[in-house]
Amino acid sequence: MADPRRYHLSTTMLAAAFAMALSGPGYSEEIKSATKFGDLSSVTQDLLTHASSDSSNFLHTNGDYGQSRFYPNSQINTTNVAKLRPAWIFQTEVKESLETSPIIVNGIMYVTTSFSHVYALNARTGEEIWHYAHKMGPITTFCCGPNNRGVAVADNLVYVATLDAHLVALDAHTGKTVWDKEVADPEEGYSETMAPTVAKGKVLIGTNGGEYGIRGFVKAFDAKTGNLVWTFNTVPENSVGVWAEKDLTGRDMHRDIAAEKAALAKLGDPYKTLGGGVWQNPAVDLETNRIYFVVGNPSPDLDGASRPGDNLYTDSLVSVDLDTGKYICHQQYISHDVWDLDAVSPPVITQVADKDGKPVKGILHAGKTGHLYVHDAKDCSLIRFSEAMVPQENMWALPTKEGARMLPGANGGVEWSPIATDPKQGLAYAINLHQPMTYSVESSAYPSGKLWLGGAFKVIPTEEQWGNVTAVDYNTGKIRWQVKTAQPMIGGILATAGGLVFTGEGNGLFKAYSSENGSLLWQFQAGAGVNAPPSSYSVDGQQYIVVGAGGNTQLDYKRGNAIMAFTIN
Amino acid sequence: MALGVLALLGLKDAGGPVKADTIEEKAGVCASCHGANGVPTAKNIPIIWGQTEGYLYLQLRDFKKGARQNEVMSQIASTLEKDDMKALAAYFAQKTWPVLDQPAASDEVTRIAKTVNSSVQCTSCHLERFQGNSTVPRLAGQSHDYLVKTTAEFRNGVRGNNPGMTSLMKATPEDDLVKVSTYLAGLAGSY
Repeated sequence: MADPRRYHLSTTMLAAAFAMALSGPGYSEEIKSATKFGDLSSVTQDLLTHASSDSSNFLHTNGDYGQSRFYPNSQINTTNVAKLRPAWIFQTEVKESLETSPIIVNGIMYVTTSFSHVYALNARTGEEIWHYAHKMGPITTFCCGPNNRGVAVADNLVYVATLDAHLVALDAHTGKTVWDKEVADPEEGYSETMAPTVAKGKVLIGTNGGEYGIRGFVKAFDAKTGNLVWTFNTVPENSVGVWAEKDLTGRDMHRDIAAEKAALAKLGDPYKTLGGGVWQNPAVDLETNRIYFVVGNPSPDLDGASRPGDNLYTDSLVSVDLDTGKYICHQQYISHDVWDLDAVSPPVITQVADKDGKPVKGILHAGKTGHLYVHDAKDCSLIRFSEAMVPQENMWALPTKEGARMLPGANGGVEWSPIATDPKQGLAYAINLHQPMTYSVESSAYPSGKLWLGGAFKVIPTEEQWGNVTAVDYNTGKIRWQVKTAQPMIGGILATAGGLVFTGEGNGLFKAYSSENGSLLWQFQAGAGVNAPPSSYSVDGQQYIVVGAGGNTQLDYKRGNAIMAFTIN
Repeated sequence: MALGVLALLGLKDAGGPVKADTIEEKAGVCASCHGANGVPTAKNIPIIWGQTEGYLYLQLRDFKKGARQNEVMSQIASTLEKDDMKALAAYFAQKTWPVLDQPAASDEVTRIAKTVNSSVQCTSCHLERFQGNSTVPRLAGQSHDYLVKTTAEFRNGVRGNNPGMTSLMKATPEDDLVKVSTYLAGLAGSY
């Protein structure tokens, strides 16, 4: 638990630091304008709402409610990024997969580690202010690592969701627990690795468990009390849908609809154990009071025999009302998925060109299929999909007993890694995997919260694997530029007003590219896999880039325990 | 041997199960097979000292439910309530994992084991160096013969309480599973 002797980085010091930041010679206009929304002692709704123009703080997992991952500070830019150096390195107590998105509030940074630890750090120095070590229950059931992707902040509370499926509110100044609620029963396969989202007094959280036969959801809890406000089940009681024979891009999925209908008559609707986890944060549109999120794979992953129908709303973009959780619209990418090529990377709200070229509010989602999908925010309908960012071969070959080779492999394309965008350039930046796999099927009964894959997706050891960073013009669907990387990519990416994108690799390299043309402008060897989404912030008039270097469990990249902040000096 | 153990434990035939009162007494029943000092009394019996808590609990639960079957364990688990299972799991989880005298795998066996790992992603759940956590068991340093036996039983369906493992074991050649077991048994240390 937190050390009480270390709680008090004085607010006087912080205020003084900010006064210096505002009066010092190095500050930029963005910093000055950013502070007008908050009172520097708590995170107001106004501050959260205006995060996209805040170049001091980093207040949301993906930068702002629209999840743009575009940071509006240009102090670090294409002309000086070559001089980027480590400002400090903080070592956590946990050497295991790091997927945290650092959140920075008025010079204080909040990061998390595997096994749901939370640290508050001095963002100038990397000194620890407090450390919350969650007292984990005896049962945790997780796929793909004991990860945690970060906190949410609002007022004076810091929210973290834990591996044993709790949602915990901590005092932002002390790290002490204010409330702690069980979100779902971990013995049934539920766990939490995503960061919560806070909007209008509600804490929003999804769930893992698509590999364990859960029934997925997004829940809203009262931010002050932790009381449950609403639950949206990502799998409705009628999950059958329209018996779609083609995926959203128009390719035949080779479904045996007659056999599925016969199975439905015999088995009934499979909704109770159909999976549909929500791995990543919703995008929030306060203008329309809607949230948009993507729903993961059906359970069991590879065996469709026991789950006839389209398996709504798995593998879908879904929108619900922020206040009530009531359904508004959805669009399914792959009906009756038997490849685990589901929807996990968080959606982004941004203005896009519709089919006639007119500007409309759009939703972007980068799929494991390797496509960037562009939707109309009004009704979730598809406007376009991008060129494939990775090789696609033999789609949609059905899994066989012996194993059928098909590309992409089950990790994507784009895994859970958030994309970044640059609205001025109309570009979305995605990191991709190329991991050739075979898909095999094996039927088994629901195993009560145990791993339930319905077969296996198996990496082909003799085939080359690699990754890429891809910039897609979301107004045309064309790839603008692409850079190949030595290993499959997982973690996330950040774009900045300095004309840069930052992203890391499993081999420890953390890189800055020109966001316009993909040229490599800077790199740093972090010593462990950089497989976490970078953030940026500014303190004392100085911009920093920060990222976790802890490797990755899912792809078995070298583990570490470092939070690294970089600046130009 | 199994029936002998049951008779020794007084769990059968003599007017129903004998109730042990304290957790130490309950755990004492386990020592006759799993070892009084944590070293199992036979090579095909798993180490449970220092094993992950959630995993131990779920195995007891599954033995009681019948999802996992073993003549001795099914009988023992049938006498346990949920609280007993949780207490026993916590009791053994906090014990020190014993080091068995098992050799490190050869370079060639290690190479094959690592290829299997990269193919079906064992460490995605069992974690780096196969230390396990919560409901996922530690495999590093586990008894070799037990690993060979239980991976084979996942593969042939005799062990039916984790279909995900059955799928992954079926996707792996049988010979390779023996090599993986040798590799895992030779990973002695905690990290």
